[in-house]
Amino acid sequence: MGRVAEVAAILLVALFLVLAVSGPHPEESASGRVVVERGLEDTGAVNLVTAIYLGYRAYDTLGETIVLLMAVSGVMLLVKR
Amino acid sequence: MAWYLIAILFLISLWGIIAERNLVRKVIALTFANTAVTILYVYYASLSGDTAPILTEGGTPVDPIPHALMLTAIVVGVCVVALALVLVYQLYQRFGTLDMTEIERRVWHGDEDT
Amino acid sequence: MRKTDILDVVARKLSPYMFLFGVYLVSFGDSSPGGGFQGGVVIASGIILLAMARGPARAEELFPSGRLSMVETTAFIALLLTGTAGIVFSGAFLAGFLGGSGVRFVFLLNMLIGLKVAAGVSLICLTIFREE
Repeated sequence: MGRVAEVAAILLVALFLVLAVSGPHPEESASGRVVVERGLEDTGAVNLVTAIYLGYRAYDTLGETIVLLMAVSGVMLLVKR
Repeated sequence: MAWYLIAILFLISLWGIIAERNLVRKVIALTFANTAVTILYVYYASLSGDTAPILTEGGTPVDPIPHALMLTAIVVGVCVVALALVLVYQLYQRFGTLDMTEIERRVWHGDEDT
Repeated sequence: MRKTDILDVVARKLSPYMFLFGVYLVSFGDSSPGGGFQGGVVIASGIILLAMARGPARAEELFPSGRLSMVETTAFIALLLTGTAGIVFSGAFLAGFLGGSGVRFVFLLNMLIGLKVAAGVSLICLTIFREE
């Protein structure tokens, strides 16, 4: 019974993935073009990925450092019990 | 073609998460799922240009936004795997085994040592 | 994990280059592939290699976990203060206020993030490793 449920779940996810992947894939992105054209003068970084995660999206980087801090606190709390 | 390979990798890792009995192997399958999603995003970004998204290389840079998204995703995945491994270690210390069906049997039907 | 001699010698000769490569990745993050997260993880792997090769007793002397935790929280508070200084000097949170074009601000943020990620990831691994 458990094995049947597992196989059914995998087949359901497989059906959904195959339907999602076989559709048309748009290959242009307006915000990507904005970053490529104006990334250097807005941020000053030649590396465009750095211009995104420290210039346009610096809040997400701050949130990610908070996630890392929480993970370290959680590990130190759970291990030292 | 690459889309279907990434979907197959994700489905294999999902099968590992669901059907594997050893707890550490479940966590390893979780890292495989993270890797599959990262490859999906980076592959989709690579279809829209020629060279790496650094302006000192010529040509048309690819879309750099999915790369920045995947940086955050990788770090969050590392944090999740670290906490999951610590929880697996706590389970091992309490029950003495890494087998999921054995732990379920002891919690639901057998003797409960508090 | 027992201390073996081969791993000890190899780690002592190899880890300065890992630290150097990690610092290179962090500091050149705004003009070549790299950045705070990538270089921080490489520095953390250098720390972990050195601590694991020297054995669990010596790793506590080399990288005490109280000091790593202090480095990590100081880097996080410095990141928050830099963001607040952006409000004071330049009008928005985490806006550039050091230079004209903004390269110096990106460099400062990369250094802080590299320090924090290195201390954080190595602290996770060393805490799990020391639990004997």
